[in-house]
Amino acid sequence: MIRLKAVNLGYQDDTVLRNVNLSISKGEFVGIIGLSGAGKSTLLTSIIANVAVQEGEYQVFGDDITTLKRKGLRDMRSRIGFIFQGYNLVNRLSVLHNVMSGMLKTIPLQRSLIKFYSKSELAKAYEYMQVVGIEDLAMKRCDELSGGQRQRVAIARALAQEPEVLLADEPVAALDPKSATLVMDILGRINSRYKVTIIANLHHLDFANKYCRRILGIADGAIAFDGQPREMTKTVLNRIYRNTTTFSDEERVDHLQMLRKTACAGTPMGGGELETLSEAAA
Amino acid sequence: MDLNRLRKEASPFKIQTGSALVVVTVLFAMSWRNTEMSLPELFQGWHHMQSYMAGNPDIAGSSFFPPSFIARDFTVYLRAMFETIEMAVVALVLSVLLAFPLSLLASRNILKVLLPGRTGIPRFVRRSIYVSAMLLANVFRSINEIVWALLFISAIGLGPMAGILALAIHTGGVLTKLLAEGNEAIDPGPVEAIIATGASFPKVILYAVLPQTMPHFVSMVLYRFESDVRSASILGFVGAGGIGFYLFDKIRAFENGDVSTIILIIVATVWCIDKASAVIRRKYI
Repeated sequence: MIRLKAVNLGYQDDTVLRNVNLSISKGEFVGIIGLSGAGKSTLLTSIIANVAVQEGEYQVFGDDITTLKRKGLRDMRSRIGFIFQGYNLVNRLSVLHNVMSGMLKTIPLQRSLIKFYSKSELAKAYEYMQVVGIEDLAMKRCDELSGGQRQRVAIARALAQEPEVLLADEPVAALDPKSATLVMDILGRINSRYKVTIIANLHHLDFANKYCRRILGIADGAIAFDGQPREMTKTVLNRIYRNTTTFSDEERVDHLQMLRKTACAGTPMGGGELETLSEAAA
Repeated sequence: MDLNRLRKEASPFKIQTGSALVVVTVLFAMSWRNTEMSLPELFQGWHHMQSYMAGNPDIAGSSFFPPSFIARDFTVYLRAMFETIEMAVVALVLSVLLAFPLSLLASRNILKVLLPGRTGIPRFVRRSIYVSAMLLANVFRSINEIVWALLFISAIGLGPMAGILALAIHTGGVLTKLLAEGNEAIDPGPVEAIIATGASFPKVILYAVLPQTMPHFVSMVLYRFESDVRSASILGFVGAGGIGFYLFDKIRAFENGDVSTIILIIVATVWCIDKASAVIRRKYI
C-alpha cells in the first residue's frame, strides 16, 4: 500500500529524513518510535503528501504521490484517515458534525451546506461513534468534552472516512493512562475488525510493544530499526533514544527515566536492559 | 539570560514606549493647533447653541423642547424610519454577499487552502489575489456612503435604491476587512484535519472555517447593521431615501421640534437594535 524507495523528506532546504526504504502492506499495525524532533511526524504526514519528497520514489496505493494534483490528491487523502496530535476538532460543532466531517468527500455540497445527512450516513456515523463509545455524546459540543473523549471523536471522524489506512500522530501522548489504554484498545480493535492498516507515532514503548506487530525506530534522520517488537534489542533502543543532537544529556536521562516508568508499568523490557540503558545515558 | 538582562527586558519603561508616547503627543498637539481647536471658543459660543436649541419664542415649533408630536407627522416619520431600516436590511444582505467571498480571497490562510503549493508561482498568484482583494475592499470602504450615494443617484436617480447600493458597497468593503481578520485568526488545526479527509475547498470552508468564525461573523454583521441604520438615516440628506430626508428638511426649515422628534426616533431605534443584537450575539458563542 505504501512504498518508499530511497526517499529524502524535508521542508524547503532542510532534510529531516534520509534514504527511507519502507513498505507497509494492508492490515499491518505499525508503531513509530523515536525522540521528539526525530522525524516521526514528518514521516507520518508525508503519507498524506504534506511534506516535500526531495528525492526517491514515494508510492501510496500504487500512485506516485509527487505527481498527484488536486483531485487525485483529494482521492488519495480520502482513503487515509489521520488522527492529529491536538485532535484538531471544530470545538464549536457537535460531536456528530465533527464525525460527519470525515464523510465530506461523499456528501454532496448542497447537503453539506445545510448539514443535512441521509439515513445511511447517520447510521454509519452512529456505528463509528459506537466503536469508540461516544454515541451518547453525539449532540454535545466538542468544547464540553475531556481530552480522552475528544481523541475518540477524532478517531470516529477518521473512521467515518472508511479509510484503508489510519495514521495516528501520538494518539495517546496527552492522555491519562486509563484513557490512553482505552484509545489504544480502540485502535487495536479497528485494526482487527475493519482490517485497517494503522500507523501510529508512539512515545510509550510499552504501548508499542503491546499493540504493534511492527515497530519503526527513527534516529539520526533515518530509520534505525524496522521489525517485530521482540526483535528490538538494547543496542537499537540505545541508538534510538541516545544518539541525538537535539537533546541534552539531562534530557536523555529524563527520557530514560520516563521510559523506565512506563516500562515497569507494562514490563515490556527486562530490568537488566533498563539498567544498561540508564548506565549508557549516565 | 542573566537576572540583570531579565530585569531590563521585563521593565515597563522602554525606549519604544517612551518614544511612542512622545510621537502621539506631538502629533496631537500639532493637529490641535493646525485645526484651530480652541476650548475658550466653545465656552464663548455655548450660549448660541442654547438659544438655537431654545428657538424663537415667537415662532411655534422652533424649539427643540418639547419635541413636536402631531400624530400625522409622527406616522410619516415612523414610516420613514421603517424604510430606513428596510434599506439597511437589503444593504446588509447585499454587502454580506459581496464581503463573504471577497473576505476569503483577502485571507492569506484561506488562500493557502484554495491554492496550495510552496513554489514561486502559486505564492505569486496567492499574493496577487490577496493584494487585489484588499485593494478593492479598501476602495469600497474609503469612499464614504454619501459619496457613493451621489454617484448612484447620478446613475439611477433619487430614492432609496441609490442609498441601498451606496450602503452595500461601503459596508461590503468594511465587512471584507473585518471578516478577513476573523478568517486569519482561526485555529489552523481543524482546517488541516478537514483537508486531510480529502474534502474539497467549499467543504473545508463550511466545516472548518465557518464554524470557527461564526461568532465573529455574527458580531460584525450585527454591528454593521446598526451602523447601516445610522448611515441610512443620513443618506436622505442627499435624496437617497430614508428618514434623513425629513431630518434635513426640518433642520433647514428651523422646525426644531420636529428635528428632535426625528432624532429621538433614530436614537430609540438604534437602542432597540443594539439590545436585540446583544441577545443574538449571546446565542452565538
